[in-house]
Amino acid sequence: MAHEAPQYVAARVQRALAEGENTHELGIRVDVRGDQLFLRGKVSTEERRTRLAGVAGEAAPELKVRNEITVVEIRDPGEEESL
Amino acid sequence: MKARIAAVGDIHLGEDVRGKFRERLAGIEERADVLLLAGDLTRHGTVEEGKVVADELRDLPIPVVAVLGNHDYHSDAQDTITALLNDAGVTVLDDASTVLVCHGERLGIVGGKGFGGGFAGKCASEFGEPETKEFVRHTKDIAERWRIALKELQADHRVVLAHYSPVKDTLEGEPKEIYPFLGSYLLAEAVDAEGADLILHGHAHLGTEKGMTPGGIRVRNVALPVLGRAYGVYSLNGH
Ligand SMILES: [Fe+2]
Ligand SMILES: [Fe+2]
Repeated sequence: MAHEAPQYVAARVQRALAEGENTHELGIRVDVRGDQLFLRGKVSTEERRTRLAGVAGEAAPELKVRNEITVVEIRDPGEEESL
Repeated sequence: MKARIAAVGDIHLGEDVRGKFRERLAGIEERADVLLLAGDLTRHGTVEEGKVVADELRDLPIPVVAVLGNHDYHSDAQDTITALLNDAGVTVLDDASTVLVCHGERLGIVGGKGFGGGFAGKCASEFGEPETKEFVRHTKDIAERWRIALKELQADHRVVLAHYSPVKDTLEGEPKEIYPFLGSYLLAEAVDAEGADLILHGHAHLGTEKGMTPGGIRVRNVALPVLGRAYGVYSLNGH
C-alpha cells in the first residue's frame, strides 16, 4: 500500500475525535510531523484529555502521540464588565 | 438601575463532572440577577447528560435562561433535554423571547442556537445543490425569527443569547477555514436592524471574548474555555 499522506492521517484522527462516541471533541488541532502526532486544544478534565490521546492513538497506531492538550483552569467569576 | 447578567456557554456537562458546575455557581445571586447559558450544555446531547444539566441548575436562586448548542442536538434528544430543563425551572429559548424583571426594569432576552454560513463577503449563498440551499436557508430563517422577536420585544434592556457567533471578531484564534461553521453575519444583520444592548454566544472554544457588530452592538463569546472563569458578568446600565 502506498504511504498515506500526513494530511489524510491528521484528518482521520480529527474525525475520530469529533465523531467518536466517547469523545465528540471538535476543538482539537491535529498535526502530523514525521512519526509524531500532535494534539493541541483545551478540555475540561484530565480524564477527557487522556481519553482523546487514546482515541487518537487507535486512529493512527503507527504514530507517536504527543498530547499537548491542556485542561482548562476555571477561575472565579472575577470583576463584572460594565457596558 | 442596572441589570447584571452572568453568562457562560459550552459547559459540556456529563456524568463524569456531575456536581462540579453547581459548585462554581455558589454565591452567584450576589454577583448577578440572571444566568444565561449559551448552548452546548452537554457533550453528546443524550438524555442522561440532559438530566445532569437539569440537576446542576435546579433551584438556583436567580432565574436561568438557556439556548441549546449543536452538541445538544447530536442525539436527536433536544426536545427531551428542553423538557428536563423546563422541569428544573430553566427557560429554554428556541428562536423566541422572554422578559424578566430586574430591579423594576424589564430585561428582554431573545434567544436561539443560531447557525453557520460565514461572514459577509466570504459566505455561503442560497445557490446550487439542495443541501447547500438548505444549510443557508436554515440560518436565514433563524435570523428572520430573531428579527421579528426583537421587533416585538418590549423591554428596557435587550440581550440576544445564541450559540453560534454573529461576528468574526470573537472567533479570533480559531482556524479561518472553519469560520463558516462557527457563525453567520446574517445573525448580526438581524440584530443590528432591530437593536440590542448585548449579544452573547459560545461555540468557538478557541475564540476571543470581545467583539462588536458592524452596527456597534457589543458581542461577547462566553464559551467556558474562552472565559477561563466560571461565568462572565456583564452589567447593563440604565439609560
Ligand atoms: Fe462547544
Ligand atoms: Fe458548539
